Amino acid sequence: MIMIAYYVITAFVLVLAGWNFVREKKSRDDLALYLLVMIPLLLRLLRVK
Amino acid sequence: MKDDGMKREVLLKAVLAGAFLGLVLWGGLPLFRHRHSDVPIIKGPGVTAVLRLSDFSPGLKGTEGDTYVFVLQGKEPGGKALIIGNTHSNEPEGMLTALVFIENAVVDKGTVYIIPFFNNSGSRNTRPGDGYPLYFDVPTDWGSRRFRYGNRDASPLDQWPDPDVYIHYPDRQLLSFIDVRNTNRTWPGRPNGPLMERVTFGAMELMRRDKIDVAVDIHGAETMFPVTNCIVAPERSVKIATLASLTVKAREGFENHVEPSPAGFRGLSHREIGDHSATLPFLLEAPIPFLDQPTGPKTTKFLLDGKDPFLLSLSKKKKLFVPYDESGWSLEKRVGQNLSVTLEIFRQFSKKTANRPIVLRGVPRYADVVKNGVGRYLGDPAKAAAGGVVMN
Repeated sequence: MIMIAYYVITAFVLVLAGWNFVREKKSRDDLALYLLVMIPLLLRLLRVK
Repeated sequence: MKDDGMKREVLLKAVLAGAFLGLVLWGGLPLFRHRHSDVPIIKGPGVTAVLRLSDFSPGLKGTEGDTYVFVLQGKEPGGKALIIGNTHSNEPEGMLTALVFIENAVVDKGTVYIIPFFNNSGSRNTRPGDGYPLYFDVPTDWGSRRFRYGNRDASPLDQWPDPDVYIHYPDRQLLSFIDVRNTNRTWPGRPNGPLMERVTFGAMELMRRDKIDVAVDIHGAETMFPVTNCIVAPERSVKIATLASLTVKAREGFENHVEPSPAGFRGLSHREIGDHSATLPFLLEAPIPFLDQPTGPKTTKFLLDGKDPFLLSLSKKKKLFVPYDESGWSLEKRVGQNLSVTLEIFRQFSKKTANRPIVLRGVPRYADVVKNGVGRYLGDPAKAAAGGVVMN
């Protein structure tokens, strides 16, 4: 049950980071950072690492 | 102008997103393949049954915590022993010792149970931050056998999240958070606890139900760690451990001293098995230089030959707990001494408990493995009989 809750939290943070990536208009650095933050979240959701 | 700006933004985001997906695939695919690759185990001439640990701990069914239990039953009755390998999946000498038993041993009296991948989840995990290789190959007479190189702890994909502090069951001792995934801290376990507690509970149930006399949990330990190159034994097992230690030194010429199992440190196999069952526990530690921190690159060659210039320098400064020279601590030495010590424990137990002997043959000893290599005792899965290979 706790594990499922953590997967939901992971998905939520991933969506937030993705949404910020789409909304970001100016800073290339921020764009890159959003993507970097998303890597471990996506790997966990895909059950890779 | 505005359209051009929009186009540039979309193009930039597409390029970055492509690079992101490339990184995910580049980094993730090898890990995915490692987690889902299986290792062949040949059922040797002495294997009479293959069970699952979930037969003893139903909470493991359908999880990566479940694992195979090989049974080698002798024609004559006798005592019962359990051999556990890969409690820590980054200490492969335990798993390889178990495989040499499975693929070669024939039991004449008694029964031997063998769990080669005790922490199956850990064997599908890795530690990229420490530069761990994902696989290693053991050379054989016919080619080589490839094995997954795992991690000390179970994969967080199978047991997540970790608590801030692991409260050991049933003693409530506070342990490090990471130990909730360490199958040498979760003994004796419980049927509905975290996954690794269900794993140790399965082994405890096997020992209690099938009345196992002797359990040998095989590990490796750093050369800079004081509890290395030894047999760890609680009070009840210490006599047999001492006799085994003295005998291998006298007859086979290698050191393997006895360390007492501390009564106040909970969750370890050599403590909890003895406290929660009638089984006599022993934990074997062979020195594995690969696990030491101040070494050169963590290559598969280093994992196999145990040779490292930094450890050699430290040895000259007397900073190691084992003798260490240019010959290193090879896999052959580590597996060889595990085999000899395990056989000697069985022999000493059989001498002490004549009505429950554990007698087996076909297993090489220290000198054989050092001379011929571990691979000499590992078969070719391609040449095994139909149904004679178990994929783990």
